[in-house]
Amino acid sequence: MIATIKAEWRKNRYRPAFLVSSGIVAGITVLLYGVSWYQALNPGTARQPMSLLTLYPDQIVNNVMGAGFPLGAAIAIVLGALIAGSEYTWGTMKTSLTQGPGRLTTWFGRVVAFEAWMGILTVILFVVGAASSVVVASFQGHVITAPALVDIAKGLGTIWLVFAVNGAIGLALGTVIRSSAAALGVGLIYVLAVEVIAVRFIDSISNGAYKWISDLLVNQNATALTQSFTSAAFGPSSAPTISAQQAVLVLFAYFGGLVIVAAALIRQRDVT
Amino acid sequence: MENTDTTIVETHSLTKRYGSGVLAVDSVDMSVRRGEVYGFLGPNGAGKTTTLRMLVGLIRPTSGTATVAGHAPGSPAGLARIGALIESPGFYPYLSGRENLKVVADMASVSLQRVDEVLDMVELTSRAGRKFGTYSTGMKQRIGVAGALLKDPDLLILDEPSNGLDPQGMAEMRKLIKDIAHGGRTVLLSSHLLGEVEQICDRVGVISGGRLVTQSTVQELLGEKGIVVRAQPSDRAGEVLTRMFGPKAVVRENGFFHLKTDPGQSVEINRQLMASGIGVSELRPYERSLEEVFFQLTGEKQGS
Repeated sequence: MIATIKAEWRKNRYRPAFLVSSGIVAGITVLLYGVSWYQALNPGTARQPMSLLTLYPDQIVNNVMGAGFPLGAAIAIVLGALIAGSEYTWGTMKTSLTQGPGRLTTWFGRVVAFEAWMGILTVILFVVGAASSVVVASFQGHVITAPALVDIAKGLGTIWLVFAVNGAIGLALGTVIRSSAAALGVGLIYVLAVEVIAVRFIDSISNGAYKWISDLLVNQNATALTQSFTSAAFGPSSAPTISAQQAVLVLFAYFGGLVIVAAALIRQRDVT
Repeated sequence: MENTDTTIVETHSLTKRYGSGVLAVDSVDMSVRRGEVYGFLGPNGAGKTTTLRMLVGLIRPTSGTATVAGHAPGSPAGLARIGALIESPGFYPYLSGRENLKVVADMASVSLQRVDEVLDMVELTSRAGRKFGTYSTGMKQRIGVAGALLKDPDLLILDEPSNGLDPQGMAEMRKLIKDIAHGGRTVLLSSHLLGEVEQICDRVGVISGGRLVTQSTVQELLGEKGIVVRAQPSDRAGEVLTRMFGPKAVVRENGFFHLKTDPGQSVEINRQLMASGIGVSELRPYERSLEEVFFQLTGEKQGS
């Protein structure tokens, strides 16, 4: 599988979609900090008062969660759909599968390289967040304090998992539909609309008797996991109905399930 | 069944029926010998690409078996000895030709040094730094052939490599294939271009409507060479020609005599007929073209 990972890495490192996505993630993070900073300095401009304390380096983990989900997740879906779907539209799937490593090896190599890119996007998000918070702290004359390493690690893990599972949605859709445009359309509609509407509907039935179903949906768990990072600087927060532990398990289950379903399709289907 | 030491591709009743019920390939028994250039000839939609896709494992047959380079189609060990360009070349448009080949080399676990060698073989070294998406059709086909050569394969499968090329590009592609075939490499070339097949291939298989209708050397397919004669009076001309070559070698058809004999006999035929007081109005060597044979075998109409 090393050969496949090397090949996937080589083709992805110059891929415009990845370079643009990295820029977008960085841009979203800077924008988030910039807008929040403006709102904190101009209290009348926000619906809820924004505290400058949330923008300092010790709060970066909590802060970047907002950039990571849902916008970062949407970008991950787009990337996954592009990576998997374009293999069919460009005819590169047949080129890959006639080289010898085997269908499953090719697929898992592709997934590993893709998820490594999700890791890079995660790191970009944190680095740009940290740099932005240092800029805010420097201008405000606030002491620069880093968050605890364990919190940084948990934050990195959370954002990577959210990107990874949403990227897997894109990869699986690209594989099922064999086209990037349709796959990314379906993926974005799901994450931005379908799941939201479905959750509202399910939770409204019989006074929430079926809420356990909506609690199993992918981005309900992603939301719960990103909201599990709380801080006094952000004010009081309501306890999420899904625990962080459950969210991690559910997201990993989705990740594994999506990758395996796509693998089964790649193994069985004719490449025409 | 042919000896697997001498055959590199062998299929038995290879069949592909799609879910829609379309029978794309119907009981194909095909054998390609080591070291030959095998032309897989057929009209568009005859089943050529489907057959080749089955040989490299992209498509699973509905029934029948195939052995390619000593292995089942699609097996990693078999693919390690096969280079294939199926239909159009599939590469990443945002990468250069060279980078694309490096991606393929990584997948095939081939040394990156080989990339420069194959670029040189297809004469694209100077343009290898340009993005694949900006290449002309001819350059794309050449990069496709280069990709297929990366593994220095025993068997090279080229599916319509001249597709979309202008006459000069076609001539260059023919030369390239001849060069590649030099040195004992087996080439399985699918094409609907009869001239291309006639010029390059040692043996041909003709497929029509999913069925392999014939498989033989080009010479066998074209049949024996001969001479066509038109002479008056024809009855006396028939007597002279029969006396010269025997009744089995003389076929009378539409006022012409078709003689199954060496075209080098023309001068002697003319001399004998003239000596017998017979006027010769036409005397020429006769050879069926591959085109005639193809249309006869596939049931297609010439010029349609």
